[in-house]
Amino acid sequence: MLKEKENIGFKGGFNLLDTYPLRFCNIIEKISSDGIPEVFEFRVPDQKIQHVIVNLCPTEPWALPNWVILEHKTAAFLNKLKEIKTRYFPEAKCYIAINKKEDEPNAAVKDYAGGAEWMKVFALAAKYPQDDPVMLSKVVLDIEMGFGQDTMTQGVLILDAQTVSAIYENCMLGNKVDSRFIALSGTGLKENEIIKVQLGTSLEKILQNRVRAKESGKCRVFINGPLHGREITDLSQKMDWSVNNIVVLEELDKKVMFPMFKSDALVLTTNMLGELRRCVYCNFCDDICPVDLEPALYYHSYIRGEKHKARLYNLEKCIECGLCSFICPSKLELLQIIKESKALGKQP
Amino acid sequence: MKKLTKPIEPIISKSLDRVESFIHTHPKVDFLFGAVFGAFDGLLRSAKETTQSQPFIRNNYDVKRFMGAVLVALVIGWVLPAIYFFGWQCVVSRLVVSFVIGVFVVDVLWAIIAREDHISEGGFVSCLLIPAILPPQSPLWLVGLGAALAIIFRNVLGGVGNNLVNPALFSRLFLTICFPSLLVTGYQMPFVGMPDLHSFRYGLDAVTHATPLTAFKTNGEVVSYFSLLVGTSGGSLGETCRLALILSGLWLIKIRVVNWRIPVSYLGSVLIFSVFLSLIMGKTVAPPLFQLLSGGLILGAFFMATDPITTTYNQAAKWIYGAGCGFITVLIRDFTTLPEGVMYSILLMNLLAIPIQSLMVKIKYRT
Repeated sequence: MLKEKENIGFKGGFNLLDTYPLRFCNIIEKISSDGIPEVFEFRVPDQKIQHVIVNLCPTEPWALPNWVILEHKTAAFLNKLKEIKTRYFPEAKCYIAINKKEDEPNAAVKDYAGGAEWMKVFALAAKYPQDDPVMLSKVVLDIEMGFGQDTMTQGVLILDAQTVSAIYENCMLGNKVDSRFIALSGTGLKENEIIKVQLGTSLEKILQNRVRAKESGKCRVFINGPLHGREITDLSQKMDWSVNNIVVLEELDKKVMFPMFKSDALVLTTNMLGELRRCVYCNFCDDICPVDLEPALYYHSYIRGEKHKARLYNLEKCIECGLCSFICPSKLELLQIIKESKALGKQP
Repeated sequence: MKKLTKPIEPIISKSLDRVESFIHTHPKVDFLFGAVFGAFDGLLRSAKETTQSQPFIRNNYDVKRFMGAVLVALVIGWVLPAIYFFGWQCVVSRLVVSFVIGVFVVDVLWAIIAREDHISEGGFVSCLLIPAILPPQSPLWLVGLGAALAIIFRNVLGGVGNNLVNPALFSRLFLTICFPSLLVTGYQMPFVGMPDLHSFRYGLDAVTHATPLTAFKTNGEVVSYFSLLVGTSGGSLGETCRLALILSGLWLIKIRVVNWRIPVSYLGSVLIFSVFLSLIMGKTVAPPLFQLLSGGLILGAFFMATDPITTTYNQAAKWIYGAGCGFITVLIRDFTTLPEGVMYSILLMNLLAIPIQSLMVKIKYRT
C-alpha cells in the first residue's frame, strides 16, 4: 500500500543535504580489529511490537547513504524485510520511510509496494531531524513520543537499512555478523570514504593515514554527526553497532581575512562563523524548530536568572536536535541552555 | 575579487595581528581603543572562536549579515531614488554627517566611556534611517543631532538587543518636540526629468511645497496615486519613492530578515480601517489608497515597524502589533490636527509590544 501526500513532514527543520553536499566515492573493504571482534546479536523484544518503521531516509549528509546497503537491489532488500517480518513480527505493520528526492529507490519501493499489503510507504521530505524517533513516529504513525523514551514501550520498533540486513544475515541465514559500514567524512580528512569495519576496532586505527597533514591545524572527531552526535577526544575508543558515521572537522581557530568572499572555506569547520551577540529577536529559532517551540523564551528566562520558568514553555517537548543553536545569528548556546533548564526540572 | 585581495591578505592579516597583540599587552590602550579595534577587525576578519558544545557546526549567518542585508535594502529603497529626486549634494552630505556623528563619533566615544566590549553594527542602520525621515531641506546640524540622539538613546538603554523603542524614530520624536518649525517646513518638490550637468554640479532647485498629507489636511487636495508610487510628490527624504521601498522590502521578506506578518498586518489594517472610516464619514477623511501610499507608511511598515528587537517575539502577537500600528496611524491621520501618524503609532506600539508579548505567551502556554 502506498501513502503519498504532497508534503508529509513538519513545520521547521532544515535541509542539510542541500546545504552541505558530501560525496562518498569508494568503499574500502574490511578493516579488521586486532582483538576478537564483537558480534552483532538481535534480540526479539519482550514487548509486543505493533509497528515496524524502516528508515531509508537519512537526513544528514554525513550519514551512511542508502545505496551502500541496498546496492541498487531494493526489491531483494524488501524481500528480506518481508521474511523477517513474517517470522518475528507477524502481527505488526511495516512502514517504510523513503526520501522523496531519491528517484531510484523511490521508484523501486513504490513498484514493490503496489502488490504488498503488509507494508506502507511514506515518501518524506528529507529535512533534518526527520529521522529522529520522535519525529518519525509522529509523522508516520501519528503517535506522540516523549524525547528519550524507549519507542518499544509504545510498540514501535525503528530500524535502519543496515540493521535489517544484519538481522537477516544473523537470524535467517545463521551467519555471524561482526562488521558494519561506517561513513567517514569531513573537512579534516583526505577523502570522504565508506569503510567496512569489524566491531571493536579502535578509532585510531580507522583514522590512520586518513586525516590530513598536520600543518592545516588541529582536527576534531565526532561520532554520529556534529549536530546531535558526541565529540570523541579519546581515540582508543572501540566502534560498536551504534556508530553510523564518523565526521572529522578542521578546527579553524584562527582569523580568516574577508570571510564574506570565502564562505566555501569556512563552512563545515568548527568555527563559530560569527561573534556572540545579544538576542535580536529574529525569529529564526522558532521558525526552524521542528516541534514548534520558541527557544528564545528559554534564553530570556535564563539571562533573567529564572531558569525554572523555562519549564512553563513546553520545555519537555524539545528533542535536542540542536537546530536552534545551529541557526542562531547571534551565536547563542540555546541547546546548552535548554539542557541546563531540563536538568533543573529533574532535580527534586 | 579573490585574485585582487590575495597578495595583500597576509600583509594586512599580519599587521592586524601585531596591532591586536600590542593592544592586548597594554591595558591602557586596550581600555581606550580595544572596542574600536575589535569593530574594525570584525569587519575584515572572521571570528576565531570555535564551538565548544553541541551542535558543533554552525550556520554561516551572523548578525553582521543580517544588518548588512537591511543596509543594502535601505540603499536601494531610498538612497538611490533620493539621489535622483533631490540631488546627490543633498543626500550625500546628510548621509556623511549622519554616519560621522552617529557611528564614528558618538558610538566610538560611548564605547570608550562606557567600556563596551564591542561596537554594534546596528548603529549603521539607525544612522541610515535618520536622514530618510527628516525633510529634504532640514539643516545639516539637525541631521547630526538626530543621529547623535538616536545612538545615545539606544546605548543608554543597553545597546542593540535591549532597546525598547526604535532609536531612529525616538530621535525624530525628540526633534519634533524641540524644533517643530524645522520639521514641518523644508519639504520640497522632487525633481522630475532628465538631469543635466548644471544640476549635477550646483544641485537641484529647491521649491518648497507641502507634503501630500498636509495638503489634504488644509484644502482636501488628493495627489495622483501614480506620483505617490513613483516618488514625484513631496515628503521626507527617504519616503517618497514607494515603489523602490516596496521592492526592497519584499526582498527583505524573501530572505527572511523582515517578518512578513508585520507589513501585511500593518498595511492591511490601515486599508481596512480607512475603508471603514471613509464609508462612514465620506470625503472628510482621506481615501484608503491615498492613505496607503502617502506619508511614511511604506517606509515605516517595511523598515521601522519590523525592527525585530522592538517588536514582539511571538509570531501570533506580531499580527496584533501590526494591526495596532495601522489602527493608531489611521486614527491620528483622520481625527487629529497632525497630518502624519506613522511615527507615533510605531513608537506607541513598540511600548505596547511587551504586554502584548507576555499576554500571547500566557495564552499559548496557559501558564
